[in-house]
Amino acid sequence: MTGPVPLCPTAHAALRYDRHAAGATRRFVRIGLSELAFAAADMPLCLAKDGQTGRFNLIALMALVEPANLFVFGGGFQATYVPRAALLGGFRLHDGGVEGLAIDPADPTLGETGEPLFEQGAPTPLPGRIRTALTEVIADMQAAQALVDRYAALRLIRSLPLSLQLAGGGEHDLAGLYTIDEAAMRALPDAALIALHRADALAPAAVMAASLAQTERLRQLHNARFAPAVDRVTLG
Amino acid sequence: MSDRTGAGDRPVRRVVVVGGGSAGWIAACRLAASAGRTGGDVAVTLVESRNVPTIGVGEGTWPTMRNTLAKIGITETDFIRSCDAAFKQGARFVGWTDGTPGDAYYHPLNPPAGATEIDMAPHWLHGREKGAGDFADWVDYQAMLCDAGLAPKSIVMPEYAGHANYAYHLDAGKFATLLRDHGVGVLGVEHVLGDVATPRMTDHGDIAALELADGRVVEGDFFVDCTGFAALLIGGVYEVPFRRCGDILFADRAMALQLPYESEDDAITCHTVATAQDAGWIWDIGLWTRRGIGHVYSSAHISDDAAEAALRRYAGPGGDALNVRRITIDAGHRTRFWQNNCVAVGLSAGFIEPLEASALMLIETSMDAIADRLPRTRAAMDVMARQFNATFTHHWMRIIEFLKLHYVLTRRTDTEFWRDNVAAASIPDGLRERLELWRHHSPGPQDFDHAREVFSWPSYQYILHGMGFASAYPRVDPASPDAATAQRFAARNARAKDELRARAPRHRDVLRAIREHGLQRV
Repeated sequence: MTGPVPLCPTAHAALRYDRHAAGATRRFVRIGLSELAFAAADMPLCLAKDGQTGRFNLIALMALVEPANLFVFGGGFQATYVPRAALLGGFRLHDGGVEGLAIDPADPTLGETGEPLFEQGAPTPLPGRIRTALTEVIADMQAAQALVDRYAALRLIRSLPLSLQLAGGGEHDLAGLYTIDEAAMRALPDAALIALHRADALAPAAVMAASLAQTERLRQLHNARFAPAVDRVTLG
Repeated sequence: MSDRTGAGDRPVRRVVVVGGGSAGWIAACRLAASAGRTGGDVAVTLVESRNVPTIGVGEGTWPTMRNTLAKIGITETDFIRSCDAAFKQGARFVGWTDGTPGDAYYHPLNPPAGATEIDMAPHWLHGREKGAGDFADWVDYQAMLCDAGLAPKSIVMPEYAGHANYAYHLDAGKFATLLRDHGVGVLGVEHVLGDVATPRMTDHGDIAALELADGRVVEGDFFVDCTGFAALLIGGVYEVPFRRCGDILFADRAMALQLPYESEDDAITCHTVATAQDAGWIWDIGLWTRRGIGHVYSSAHISDDAAEAALRRYAGPGGDALNVRRITIDAGHRTRFWQNNCVAVGLSAGFIEPLEASALMLIETSMDAIADRLPRTRAAMDVMARQFNATFTHHWMRIIEFLKLHYVLTRRTDTEFWRDNVAAASIPDGLRERLELWRHHSPGPQDFDHAREVFSWPSYQYILHGMGFASAYPRVDPASPDAATAQRFAARNARAKDELRARAPRHRDVLRAIREHGLQRV
């Protein structure tokens, strides 16, 4: 497996970007604060710890048992909203590349189909647009991080046991997920609740909690494509 | 029942801890936290001399420390940051069996696989010819983690939890400071700086108060003697005899030095290394900022100068300019630990070479027994004292026997120290009897008197089989259900090794992440 490499007009002259292939191999994706309400229309939103820092990241869950994105089938991302980190998963900011970009050659969006990144040796407008979008999504994720840090500081996060009962009697547990602790939220003093509300931090918590109902959507998508079927999803 | 104290049902409301090292501050914090948790009206005061330096022994803990810190209310992040702490996953004993190159074995902190279901030892013994390898490696994955320098937890795990059992290496001085700040600032311990001059006694032999050198008087209902080797109360006031064990464990001196890392990215060893020497052994522990190394030795078998030379050889050129700190070990313990309304905790209760890092563990175990069951009245104290004394006399006997086990199994005959260690007169009867039993039966829970032994059968198995103790357990039928169960656990252990080898982080990387980002709390 190779890591990201700087975007280069010669080495990547024929490379194309296909947005319809985005996120095919992703089981979850980080989302930014502004995406929360949109992503909740399709996906359960929860928290998972970052492997390097241990801090909680806001994520959209897109898989259950199989290591595959349940929303990607039939040649596209079958959801009302595609998280931007999934769309841009093939790109990183990198000072040494064209338009300040590096690419992950293993990402499914990069290949022989889709929009060209270069024409006649010069960058098309696409790399510039991607650079702008990437900068925005990073800032948006930082805003989400600040919100989640605030929840963590107030001890408003709890572990989210998620257990799947499989047809035939098997069981599959998803570990490492966290969610808003609604009981702890209710127990907050009035002043702390008002402060959260004034900081626009209450509504996102409610959206996150409500989005867990989308695990049923994931169950249906799983059962349409994979066996054994998931009979029931149990959230602790 | 007669009330020989004359104190009747006087409630225990004022607890006075005397001494401010690790023992004193662990005691004060545990008592104050326990009182706070139960809503009790117990006030805790710690009296500490400005003029008595702390010994600072005990830079290695047991996994029990995770519970102790959680009970006190100190986060693992704060602990690791404040005490330069690193993780410890057990001990590796080098050169203890025959002293030849490659002679080494692990005593990991994980119990053997399937410990609650099956005794793996006979299956390992009869599987050796089929390549079962070292006992610790066959029954558990922690030796692999230690060898590979991998941590027992990752940054995404909760506080005090890991993918392997673990303890800590820590800076004892910084630990006492952290406990003091937490005890005074968070738990409400009253901190009195002053030298104890005279105890004031009741007519019935209890301590009523301590008069300090500056004339102040600290009154109390219950006193915890954490005054270290001075043993001001248990020895000075009550003259409780000290039972020495130098005839069993010969080490009576130690010298230590603190060795900086050569670079800030040097690997931090994730276990204690205990390397046998001509007349003792050298400990080597890794902290975040430095290594701590020390030579424990018998002055009857080697001179101080020769011992220091051995320590400096071990340290290498990096230790040439460093001063060694010398410690006298008067190995043994009090014949009673709790007398009247006074209990001794820490070095005042006893001291022994740190071969299995028992010093801090004994403080914690003592405070588990005291803080969680603090007598409500003076009348209840004598019953508690009898229980406590019986329990800790037993613990000390077992600790002495377990440390001696490391010496009696040696096949080394190269120095008088090792030859003397296997002399029959130096081996406690209880240990000798068990060793005879264990030639034919693997150590198991039924071999011990107490339900909660400080060293239980898994520890004995690791040492016995690590040192190649000659055992002849009944042959196991390879077609039996037990054999299948043992193979299943061995296979599970092999899978765990593969998985952790691939995903467990480097020890220093995890410590760096914790210091930088902290462990998230939920």
